[in-house]
Amino acid sequence: MSALPVASGRQSAREVWRLSRGHRWKLAAVGCLGLVSAAAGLVPPAAIGRFVDRVQDGSADGTTVAWVLAVMIAAALLGAIGAAITVVLAARTYHAMLAELREQLVARGMHLPQGVVEAAGTGDLVSRSSDDVAEIADAGPDIIPTFTTVLFTIIVTFAGMGALDLWYAVALVVLLPVYALTVRWYMATGPRIYRAERAAMSDRAQQLLESQRGHATIVGLGMTDARHASVLEASWSVVGHSLRARTVINMFFGRLNFAEFLGMAGILVAGFWLIGNGRSTVGAATAAMLLFLRLFGPITQLLLVVDLLQSVLASLARIIGVTTMPLPAAPGESGRGGAVRLEDVSFSYDGQRPALDGVDLTIDAGQRVAVVGASGAGKTTLAAIIAGVYAPQAGAVSRPPHTAVVTQEVHVFAASLRDNLTLGAPSADDEQLHAALDATGASGLLTLLPDGLDTELGTSGRDLTAAQAQQVALARVILADPDLAILDEATAEAGSTHAGLLDRAADAALSGRTGLVIAHRLSQAATCDLVVVMDHGRITETGTHDELLAAGGTYARL
Amino acid sequence: MSTMGERDPAGLGRGWLTRWLPVLWQAPPTPPVVEPFPVTEGMSPRQFLLRVILSARRLTIPAAVLGIGWQVGEALVPVVMGIAIDRALATGDASQLALWLVVLAGTFLIGSLSFRFAAQLTEQAAELVQHRLRVTLSRSVLHADGAGARQPDGGVVSMMTNDVARTAAVGLTVYPVAEFSGIVFIAISLLVIYWPLGVAVLAGAPLTVWLMGRLSAKLARDSRVYQTLLAETVGRATDLVAGYRVIKGIRAEDEAASRYREASQQTLRGAYRNVGLLGRFLVGSTTVSGIFVAGVAALAGWFAVTGALSVGGLIAAVGLAQALLPPMRMLAMNAVPAWASANASAGRVLDEIRAAPPVTLTVVAAPSGVPAVELSLDTRAPLRIDPGELVAVVADERTSSDLAHALLHPETPSEIGVRIDGAAGAYRSAVVVSPHHATLFSGTIADNVDGPLREAALGAAECEDFVMMAGGLQGQVGEMGNRLSGGQRQRLALARALAADAPVLVLHDPTTAVDSVTEAAIASRLRALRAERSTILIASSPALLSACDRVIDLRSES
Repeated sequence: MSALPVASGRQSAREVWRLSRGHRWKLAAVGCLGLVSAAAGLVPPAAIGRFVDRVQDGSADGTTVAWVLAVMIAAALLGAIGAAITVVLAARTYHAMLAELREQLVARGMHLPQGVVEAAGTGDLVSRSSDDVAEIADAGPDIIPTFTTVLFTIIVTFAGMGALDLWYAVALVVLLPVYALTVRWYMATGPRIYRAERAAMSDRAQQLLESQRGHATIVGLGMTDARHASVLEASWSVVGHSLRARTVINMFFGRLNFAEFLGMAGILVAGFWLIGNGRSTVGAATAAMLLFLRLFGPITQLLLVVDLLQSVLASLARIIGVTTMPLPAAPGESGRGGAVRLEDVSFSYDGQRPALDGVDLTIDAGQRVAVVGASGAGKTTLAAIIAGVYAPQAGAVSRPPHTAVVTQEVHVFAASLRDNLTLGAPSADDEQLHAALDATGASGLLTLLPDGLDTELGTSGRDLTAAQAQQVALARVILADPDLAILDEATAEAGSTHAGLLDRAADAALSGRTGLVIAHRLSQAATCDLVVVMDHGRITETGTHDELLAAGGTYARL
Repeated sequence: MSTMGERDPAGLGRGWLTRWLPVLWQAPPTPPVVEPFPVTEGMSPRQFLLRVILSARRLTIPAAVLGIGWQVGEALVPVVMGIAIDRALATGDASQLALWLVVLAGTFLIGSLSFRFAAQLTEQAAELVQHRLRVTLSRSVLHADGAGARQPDGGVVSMMTNDVARTAAVGLTVYPVAEFSGIVFIAISLLVIYWPLGVAVLAGAPLTVWLMGRLSAKLARDSRVYQTLLAETVGRATDLVAGYRVIKGIRAEDEAASRYREASQQTLRGAYRNVGLLGRFLVGSTTVSGIFVAGVAALAGWFAVTGALSVGGLIAAVGLAQALLPPMRMLAMNAVPAWASANASAGRVLDEIRAAPPVTLTVVAAPSGVPAVELSLDTRAPLRIDPGELVAVVADERTSSDLAHALLHPETPSEIGVRIDGAAGAYRSAVVVSPHHATLFSGTIADNVDGPLREAALGAAECEDFVMMAGGLQGQVGEMGNRLSGGQRQRLALARALAADAPVLVLHDPTTAVDSVTEAAIASRLRALRAERSTILIASSPALLSACDRVIDLRSES
């Protein structure tokens, strides 16, 4: 297993900067408006502070009150509109860049050489295109306001305190180490406990899913009590982890409250000293108190997203790691027509044990070849080499440019039957779709499905039986109309009652093109022009069905 | 790590100062025994929700009391600060400064600790209630067994995570109570300072909360719509990547990427709409609350000008007005949408519990010996399988799956009658049914294959080769057995069924994904392992049929 790459911080930053092209004026506006609306937030405390001084020296009257009211309302409006525009602009940019990024990820993932993705396990790509994308999208509502309005509020308020008197700001600077220590403790403790909580949650989801999918098995084998118990155990494990996570958050808030107390006490002490020296006024101390009171929420919000930001950056690095992977130049598919030629081909997955060992094979255009052998003989590897999934480590391969592969794993996409069929032939019309379904013996499917070709299938709709899914897979091949079709144990999963039906469907999918069948049932091999017997990565026998039977070798014994 | 554990036993990263403190209100290691939530016939979703969120009063009542302490503490901070500025800073009296610093510390301490314990108790209550809801659903829906039991649909997994979490909204009996009390406390303080101010707040606050609540409920509704869209996009990526081999197989990379782009762009449009609503919400709520605070401050200012209010009273009033904002905002932004979504989720959970089969099968011990099985199909004479027989039933696909279903759920009325000697509840312990698509469960091979004949069964089902490669009995099989190939999964499922050593075993197409050579080996060992016990094979593979005492061919008879 060699995992797909993860981008470095520098690479991520470069990609994000590149993605921001077309959004940069918006980001500049976010900066300016964010500052303006944060500054507007300073006006009410300042106005009240000034007003307190006027009341004290007796110069305040009704007009002053009206002015204070007007200024505060104007500031509230300006702040509200500015903050809203800032957040909206920032959020639109965030979502647009994320959409671009996830589309690049899926497109790049699809175009990467199959061998690279397979070596990492397709699960790696699945988790990047689902979990990591969701992580970044879900964090948006917390991160965006924090890094636009909240951050500006903190900076501007701090500056405002300094403007009242530098010493008020100094009283707060003292708090920085307290906050720093809190964040350090939180980063060292929180993420570990949240990870454990998330792991417990995903284990719980897994247990639930298995019980749901495996209902027949559970009932049939009398496992209801045991499964109920394991679901409850998983559920309870989440309870334990969630309570711990809550404790961590509570401790975090406790430390923030302590810092808030220190700040307020600092303002009182500084104010006492400044007013005693005649440097400051009661109004200024009031304003400083109100300003700091306004900061409680924003500071908490900022510190809370630090660990969220970390996981967003980690997800980003995993996504960008894939989007920046180089695509190799399209391999030179040298074959002409439908012929396949392998010369002395060797291949090994681990560099030690050969999966293929000096294989020579020629398939003429239009010929149909069956490969038989025990499991582990190298049949699937041979198919993968011919399909171009892996490049051979020794020897030469030539194959037709247009090949199609149907593997044992049939996948029905969560989409309509039409979309499932047209995947490999986007321009196919309904007539062609009907013809392809007919050829694979699946035209009856259309009458079974309530909305015909428009019936939603897969996870979002109806489940097809294994045999129906195979017929759909084979119909896709007919529609894609390749020069070479490779069927790798394509009829293996269906029930035995369907073997005949699917053999006929496979026959239809292969007609008129070169075919390679990794035969699972010997009945499949019997209808092929040529049978190749494999053992331990080598071809041991080659000939027609009758020739091999007559020769009395391995094939005859099977 | 071990030394770290000794220094920090709770794993919460606590320093030497607080390490010795107990960590309160965590989950005990074993789940408590809880009764399912009772559901009565005419119960409305709201009644169900109220019953659920009021079911942990032992925890939520103390939490609500503590929550009031927290809100009062928060509201007192500006009051104490105002008095301190008035009495110490304005007068220069150092002993007053010391006194009010101590009062301030006490206020913070009470507020902070009250919050911490209220939050922990609320979390514990919410987790307990969630667990109890899961117990209810797990028993009646997920692991239903009895007349009318069916495979629950995939939605049950998300219901048991998301809807359960939203229904267990016990926080609604704590936080809104605390926030409401905070608002009342501030109003009373203002009444004491100068009664017209208190009246103004009591009149204005509900209106402000109502306005903000309306705005936030709309936003929350749309956010859920957007979340669904996002989940669809993420789901589509998962689906496409899960079908990676199919896409690669028919060279549909471009088509797949463009389909994903379409879904992604649709989600982006949803995100834009959601962001637009967020912007309107921000403008609305910030303006409304800003005007409210400005109004209260101006009113207090007017009274200060007329001499009805002292400077200290003015500062306290302005501070209190500002302190009104957080509880009002939390009421509007959290409680209102949470109540709406809790109602919706409670309705879904209630419907699911109601739709569950009413009868739960009680399994009693199997009768000693092997019972005879009688199957009655249409009008034919009942088929009798005598104790100790190894019988194959060959039928078309529909009849095969109906027969398997009838054997799985004999108590569900159907065309096929199943009867065994002995008590009704003894069926499950006497008859084990292994369905065609048998599910493996994550865990070790030993977890999956458990029973008196484990070793022999693994041998008979030809599992030894891959069990050894997976790391022996303790090797992990992965989620739903995904670390094994299709054929290996099928063989392990067969071994699991055989290991149970059931008096009667029903196997439906147990070897369809197994190659012919292996299948023949399995067939030859079946009889020895099932000696003296009854086995019913629903299959048509010649290798299996040839191993049977008797073949009942339902196809030829019809």
